[in-house]
Amino acid sequence: MKRLGLLFLAAVVVIGAGVAIFLFKPASLPDVSEAAAKLPTGQALIDRGEYLTRAADCVACHTTAGGKPYAGGLAFKLPFGIIYSPNITADKETGIGNWTDAEFVRALHQGIDKAGQNLYPAFSYAAYAQMTTEDALAIKAYLFSLPPISAEAPKNELGFPFNQRYVMRFWNLLFVPGPLQPDPKQSEEWNRGAYLVEAMAHCGECHTPRNLMFAVNNGKKFAGAELQGWKAYNISSDKQTGIGSWTDQQLFDYLSKGHAEGRGSATGSMGEAVDFSLRHLTPEDVKAIVTYVKSVPPQTSADKAIVEAEPATLTASTAYAPAANAATQDSLGLKIFQGACASCHGWNGEGLQTPYASLKGSRTVNDPDGTNLIQVILKGAHMTTQQGRQSMPGFANAYSDVEIAALSNYVLGHFGGKQSAITPDNVANARKQ
Amino acid sequence: MIALNINGEDRNVDVPEDMPLLWVLRDVIGLTGTKFGCGIAQCGACTVQLDGRPVRSCVLPAASVGSRKITTIEAVSATPSGKKIQDAWLNLEVVQCGYCQSGQIMSASALLDRNPDPTDRDIDAAMSGNICRCGTYPRIRAAIKQAAKA
Repeated sequence: MKRLGLLFLAAVVVIGAGVAIFLFKPASLPDVSEAAAKLPTGQALIDRGEYLTRAADCVACHTTAGGKPYAGGLAFKLPFGIIYSPNITADKETGIGNWTDAEFVRALHQGIDKAGQNLYPAFSYAAYAQMTTEDALAIKAYLFSLPPISAEAPKNELGFPFNQRYVMRFWNLLFVPGPLQPDPKQSEEWNRGAYLVEAMAHCGECHTPRNLMFAVNNGKKFAGAELQGWKAYNISSDKQTGIGSWTDQQLFDYLSKGHAEGRGSATGSMGEAVDFSLRHLTPEDVKAIVTYVKSVPPQTSADKAIVEAEPATLTASTAYAPAANAATQDSLGLKIFQGACASCHGWNGEGLQTPYASLKGSRTVNDPDGTNLIQVILKGAHMTTQQGRQSMPGFANAYSDVEIAALSNYVLGHFGGKQSAITPDNVANARKQ
Repeated sequence: MIALNINGEDRNVDVPEDMPLLWVLRDVIGLTGTKFGCGIAQCGACTVQLDGRPVRSCVLPAASVGSRKITTIEAVSATPSGKKIQDAWLNLEVVQCGYCQSGQIMSASALLDRNPDPTDRDIDAAMSGNICRCGTYPRIRAAIKQAAKA
């Protein structure tokens, strides 16, 4: 009996030591010399890095609104607390100016910082782990070619146990993949698209639901999710709730211009993704993304944002006036729409001022929850286009919760043919996001 | 260089592509009849017509005009609806301070162009985006109706 106890104790000690080594053993550094030798030098390397830095959309998270690019400080409000993105300019004190190539590659592939501490997966290294070492080095070369900016990011606000960074090693073991292997059964274009989507653009970080461990749940790939008060819509090939019924041209236009005829315009974080990243990609790369995204198996989501492209309310309207017999003709929502919105958006969904103002077919005006619609009305939207900047002002300070709720219900009824019941409380909650 | 057709005249202007059309009209060409109000397409003071359709020139990048013909308040009297609207405006003394009125007239003449006999509801739908600090709305409505009968 005593002997059994000793054996048990020994086992506990061995397992305990194993876990301790796993958690606290200093992380090793990868050898990047082979990859570095394959890269061009000088401006050619920086140019390649600039393209890839845009493809990976680093700027979206590492820049605050109105702040200096890549200087960090953007807040991520998560269920566990607040995480701030760090400064990734080459500043030696507050940025990553002292990082070696190997340390930078290790950060992208394993989520480990210069000091060997684990980073949090708000940094999408679970996607960047699939990036080639060559591409990671090119991104570093570009970031280091920019002027260093001195800016200390605020300290994270996380409680125990989430403030214990080593815990992330368990998470990494479970959820961080290795480099992306090309699928020989698929075309070269598909494989390029897979690489751009998975290792670079990290679409799944927003568009795929997360599991209990807050990792991307690839069993429901691209089924859509909600974060920071916005919906990232279902972008699987499901015909009703995903993008399965979009044409290739519509997907191409939406990704490369932020607007597709009959599908509305990208706003919120997707608007940023187009503005900062996707519109800078070559047409070939955008086509590759379309090819890959369309091949992702359909996932039916519970989301009720099912597009009705031609509701009777729209077809009976002209660009300048709603149908004469509309039941909503004296509603508060209609009055606000005709005063503040109609001069750009028009009444028939085609957009008056610019095609970017066309609402017909957009999921945002077809979602009875009104999640993104309320956010767009509150915050506005903008997009850089070849014909200059297109923008819609935010109305958060112009209208009350009661007015924005009425406007939202009117817009969903008129442009989406949807019955909705958005309340002033919904608007008040959206304002807090 | 951006090529624009303004009030029937072809003009080439050397401006950044995303300069709002209102800036081009007022500061580059010198047509100051079109007014700056809010700068965010919420008041209608800057309304001009592109191929007869009313647009808010303060948020319209000059490069996005393309081949569409621009009509401003300076030339609207040369269109049949514009003439009728301006006559009715004078008959009924619509204007008080006048700042919003070039935008009101551009929206109203475009309305009359596409709808020769607008109802109150048609007028509300078309004119609500043009706001008037002096509250001349009843006279605007009456003048549109008078112009429709002219």
